[in-house]
Amino acid sequence: MYELKAVDKKFPGVHALKAIDFHIRRGEIVGLVGENGAGKSTLMKVIYGAYQPDGGQILIKGSSVRFANPRQAMEKGIGMVFQEQSLIPNLTVMENIFLGYERQFVRFGVVDWKAMAKAAKAQLAKVKLGIDPAMVTSKLSFAQRQLVELAKVLTLEERVDGDLVILLDEPTSVLSKDEVQLLFKLVRELTTRASFIFVSHRMDEVMDLSDRIYVMKDGEVVDVVERGGAAAEAIQHKMVGRNVDKEYYREHLQKPYEAAKVLVEMERVGLPGRIQDISLKLHAGEVLCLVGTEGSGREAILRTIYGMLTATSGRLRIKGEDAAAFSPRQSVAHGVGYVPRERKIEGIVAGMNVYENMTLSQMKKHSSGGVLRVSEERALARDWIRKLSIKAHSEFADCGNLSGGNQQKVVLAKWRSAGSDIMLLDHPTRGLDIGAKEDVYDMIRAMSAAGVGIVLVADTLEEAIGLSHTIIVVKDGRIQKQFACEPGAKPTPFDLLHYMI
Amino acid sequence: MDIQRLKPHLPWITLVVLVAIVGINDPGFLRPSNLLGIAGDIVPLFIMALGLTFAIYIGGIDLSAQSMANMVTVIASVYLASMGAWVAVLCVMAGFLLGMLSGYVTTRLFVPSFISTLAVGGIAFSIAQWLSGQRALNMDAAQRNETFGWMIGRTWGVPNELLIAAVLVAICLFIERRTTLGRALKAVGAGELAAAASGLNVARYKILAFAISGALAAIAGLLFAVKLSGGAPTIANGFLLPAIVAVLVGGTPLTGGVGGVANTVVGTLIVAVIRASMLYFEIDATRQQIVFGIVLIVAIALTIDRAKLRTVK
Repeated sequence: MYELKAVDKKFPGVHALKAIDFHIRRGEIVGLVGENGAGKSTLMKVIYGAYQPDGGQILIKGSSVRFANPRQAMEKGIGMVFQEQSLIPNLTVMENIFLGYERQFVRFGVVDWKAMAKAAKAQLAKVKLGIDPAMVTSKLSFAQRQLVELAKVLTLEERVDGDLVILLDEPTSVLSKDEVQLLFKLVRELTTRASFIFVSHRMDEVMDLSDRIYVMKDGEVVDVVERGGAAAEAIQHKMVGRNVDKEYYREHLQKPYEAAKVLVEMERVGLPGRIQDISLKLHAGEVLCLVGTEGSGREAILRTIYGMLTATSGRLRIKGEDAAAFSPRQSVAHGVGYVPRERKIEGIVAGMNVYENMTLSQMKKHSSGGVLRVSEERALARDWIRKLSIKAHSEFADCGNLSGGNQQKVVLAKWRSAGSDIMLLDHPTRGLDIGAKEDVYDMIRAMSAAGVGIVLVADTLEEAIGLSHTIIVVKDGRIQKQFACEPGAKPTPFDLLHYMI
Repeated sequence: MDIQRLKPHLPWITLVVLVAIVGINDPGFLRPSNLLGIAGDIVPLFIMALGLTFAIYIGGIDLSAQSMANMVTVIASVYLASMGAWVAVLCVMAGFLLGMLSGYVTTRLFVPSFISTLAVGGIAFSIAQWLSGQRALNMDAAQRNETFGWMIGRTWGVPNELLIAAVLVAICLFIERRTTLGRALKAVGAGELAAAASGLNVARYKILAFAISGALAAIAGLLFAVKLSGGAPTIANGFLLPAIVAVLVGGTPLTGGVGGVANTVVGTLIVAVIRASMLYFEIDATRQQIVFGIVLIVAIALTIDRAKLRTVK
């Protein structure tokens, strides 16, 4: 029904899609997996019309089409449910659903809200969401918003004749297990109305939901797996091109930390509305995980240590020195490095190249009298590009054009090359695929072995448990419980969950 | 060849095309002495544009540049007699400090730079009116020639203004490409939040950018006062628009982060050619701002980075 034939896409320096053949049948659910930088997102953008292919053909029911923009693609029945949700929070649910298509409800220049509410109800019924369409979107939970987004895309059904193809980009990343199951059930039922392309980093979910799975690597489709045609590990092997280590979190590499050497000490630190009464110690070589729900104060603790937030009570010492009034600049000077969650906004500077990014936090070290020693910077960058096998054509590559995993490597290299021995990692593996995640785990172990103290806010509980020496559970800005996590005697997610909620 | 790859080269292509068009219509335009003269005349405006480049490079704007230059022409005319050559130091300091003030208001009081610099420009203009008693002032010709005569003569047929401009360009290029300051300004322009998360003192660098802009506007004003042998609170009016045009057509977008000093050199030459060509095509001075207004709109629309500008208000 929908088909791509030998589709090619090139960007300066990158051949993003190499002769991709892809098809999807009516009512089919097709999975799309691949490492970061494999070309998944480029392929999706070609499908929903944000990019135009440089070569090849897009066929709908055998006839060739060309989309200049996503709206044209929508008119042919191709809808996209975005990973970063595209709903406008201060509009009502119905206004969001019909955003840009309000005309159908206009009578004599005035919107007939009753008619719109009725139509919105019908759309929400498709996704089995029994909420009031006049509700303000910001009051909905994340899972509900995801469904509203899906309902919005499903309005295409009435607007378009022909079949629908709906892309789901990482729809499960913010959902709980139960919500994921509900979503999957719904998607399966909706196959009577549309075909789905499902993109996710979670292999088990892709295998659970998809009828066929396209496996991408380096801009090519390396395999198409039918349901039940291969085990998860075999697919991962094809994706990564190597075996996935059973010891995923590198537990065998976990070494005891130096209990005598305290790097960071917090004593009854408080910040009204964010954190209260936080006392903890970070030792050299220790991986300390902060665990808690969203908004529990994990990030506030990280940002307080980094000096982006200033505590109003308590004491904070970095390497024995009073650091309560430190700015980030002073923290950096004391060897603190910060890997923020928003990699593209706070992690790297898009528009600056690899060496400029790497030395951004340590320009003093590579300059004399304010004049930079550029050749030294470039040598340093080349060195780290090799050490971390960063995929960049050279140290002059614009960091904005690197894939997520490689951007994260640049951020980590920035701090490691500066010799930071206190690392604050906020969701360092967020949005990375398995290969890139493993690289990050390796780096965390290597840093720990080198005596670096690490405060980590992990993406999942499993990750937190696997990586850490110590886990601190935070709830409502307070420390609930501290766990020691020696290899072989680690707490289970259930143990932690008990204190989180 | 797609437009994205062509974009960085558009400024100099525009320049060559413009020169060719005017040259074909009037071969006299291409005479070296004529070209040198045109280039020399644009120097005060160029120096102002050079300063503006720093403010725009970090994603801000400096609307006070013209008033700053106005004020400096008055300061230079009033104090030349009593201070001699030291008046130059006074002028540059005044520009630098007022620029710092704009930067301070922008970064510490969180007032957008277009408002803070507009307000500081108002202050500068008012100082100029008060100091001058709202009259045009004249410098003592003999003293001017003795103290600042070197600024406006010719060396081997090249106007000295051009040499001054060349020295300033060299300094600014060095700051931009070789110093920690330049790198920090680029980081602030391209990704301010990431720069802050890397431990840079973003506020300090922003204040410095506005201070440099102010200082260069002051140098522009000083040179202008020396050229005209006097000053007045409105003497440099009509500079601001072409100076902003010069920065933007050179390829430094309002959103900052790319472009820079070298681009402004090309941009100013484009402005110079446009200005000269208006003389050839007999568009009179009162209508020139219409042209620059239109060019400004086109330049902004072409250069602005819409990925950074989510919404426009």
